[in-house]
Amino acid sequence: MSQTSMVKLGAIEKTWADGTRALNNVDLEVPKGQFCVILGPSGAGKSTLLRAVNGLMRPTAGKIQVDGLELTQASERELRKRVAMIHQHFNLATRASVAANVLSGALPEVSLARALCGWFHPEQRKKACHYLERVGLKPEHLHRRAGELSGGQQQRVGIARAFMLDPKVVLADEPVASLDPQISRDILTLLKDAARELNATVICSLHQVDLAREFGDRIVGMRSGEVVFDGAPTEFDDQRLSRLYQNADWGDGEPTPVTEDSLELEAAGGM
Amino acid sequence: MSTRPIPVPPQGTRLHWHLDQPFRLKHLVIAVLILALLLVTGHRTEMDRMVSMTTQAVGNLVGLNDESQVVRGLSKVADSMWPPQMATSEEVARMNDFNADELPVFARVESRETTTQRLNEDTLQLESVTETTEVLYDPLGYVKTVFGKMIETLEIALWGTLLAVSLSIPLAWFAASNYSPNRVTYTLARGFISLLRSVPELIVALFLVLAYGFGPIAGVLALGMHAAGFLGKFYAEDIENADKQPQEALEAIGAGKIKTVLYAVMPQVLPQYVAYTAYILDRNLRMATVVGLVGAGGIGQELKGRFDMYDYGHVMTILIAIFLFVFLLDQLSARIRSRMI
Repeated sequence: MSQTSMVKLGAIEKTWADGTRALNNVDLEVPKGQFCVILGPSGAGKSTLLRAVNGLMRPTAGKIQVDGLELTQASERELRKRVAMIHQHFNLATRASVAANVLSGALPEVSLARALCGWFHPEQRKKACHYLERVGLKPEHLHRRAGELSGGQQQRVGIARAFMLDPKVVLADEPVASLDPQISRDILTLLKDAARELNATVICSLHQVDLAREFGDRIVGMRSGEVVFDGAPTEFDDQRLSRLYQNADWGDGEPTPVTEDSLELEAAGGM
Repeated sequence: MSTRPIPVPPQGTRLHWHLDQPFRLKHLVIAVLILALLLVTGHRTEMDRMVSMTTQAVGNLVGLNDESQVVRGLSKVADSMWPPQMATSEEVARMNDFNADELPVFARVESRETTTQRLNEDTLQLESVTETTEVLYDPLGYVKTVFGKMIETLEIALWGTLLAVSLSIPLAWFAASNYSPNRVTYTLARGFISLLRSVPELIVALFLVLAYGFGPIAGVLALGMHAAGFLGKFYAEDIENADKQPQEALEAIGAGKIKTVLYAVMPQVLPQYVAYTAYILDRNLRMATVVGLVGAGGIGQELKGRFDMYDYGHVMTILIAIFLFVFLLDQLSARIRSRMI
């Protein structure tokens, strides 16, 4: 694993319009090829942090650098081509075919006229087929509507789409949150292997501790918008785990004891 | 996904539960006001007189009273409209392109004798003169004319729809708040769409006939502009309401706005777009028969001409043709739609 830094976040702050602090002075440096898991309870700022990397969320303060390119208004478009994203709810065009969804991952490199006719380059078609096979789908899935597939299959399509532009960085925002444990494991294995082939950096937010320990090269624990743990999975023992999850701060200033009610609210807040 | 925490009320807070009756005095007052409004407007639109005249007509039909203005008017029209006019006859001598070897199907040449009273200038006496004229008699001649006009009407409806679709797609882009470049373009596009939709086709056609002269140009433009107002609004609202998730996925890789709409919005809204456009085509066909009344081409222009010349037999043929066409197209579009969905 090379040690050159691929993603560099410096002193990121984010305050929402209503005054809520989502991110508080977050520094993070992820080297090339690392599978970095961001772990933490819902509302910890994992999603916000991921969305800062490709500029979907504009931080109130702080610097973002990806592949040596600083994120500014001008460089945003260029930077986003190198940063793929995998979403919790798959975010596929459900009425479009699987093929169209995967090919749409190559859109930034396709001319408008070609996009209008759906006339993708032959290499792009070949690549789409390659990745669909790679994620375990069959040729007969190509022309099925994406919405007809099961959740696990849809996320496979999402992964194939993400790899269409040979990304340097893959952001995976709770990629398996809506899938069952066995399929979650399959999907994360796929993601990790595909990223390793390209030597791509993966920043993956998760809330399942066992998956984080199994797949992460490194675990970054977050709570209330702050990084509270950063280290190898082996260092992430049960004591640290309970400190990460117990007494979750609800942002009211006063820590509330964890009760059944607040656990339910936590689940609702993650939607 | 929101990362903001959900505020939790402090423990021990008493909540006040309260469930009201659905109606209050306010609602009774509103109901009385609506009733009063109905009575006033009903009188102003002569709804009371309509009821009494209709009652009279029904009484006349079942033999209870002898006089009904409604029945008299209707029966007069019905008498003069039946039978529908189907044939045409034209004097051969007045036709420029008459060719005795190539007559239209079913047509034949007849000679007709016409006797007229004429003043003899030498004797200063009235005498009967009999003239024989060759006449081309076509038993289905008028049906053919009406059919031709109906096809023209169909073409006006089709081109009106094409014009509306091609006008409303760029309009919808600027009128969708999430894709319009800025507030100014959004407001302008919305305003223009409202303007297009607010003027009825018939009135637009009236003015366009002044600009482009009698004929289908005015019809196509009038239908296209009005329908563009309708389609622009609905297309834009569908773009605004489309599921944001796939759009975010393409935005995240920097695909650009136009490609995002093409690949993340269009697949979602396409079935609705097809339905709107089919409705507009259906509506345009009915409207195309009407805009002819002000001279904008198609069957309406023929209808107006015949009506003004009191040729009620011809009018009947035209009405039957319109009914048949609309009915057949309804069946056809229903069949196409059931196959598409």
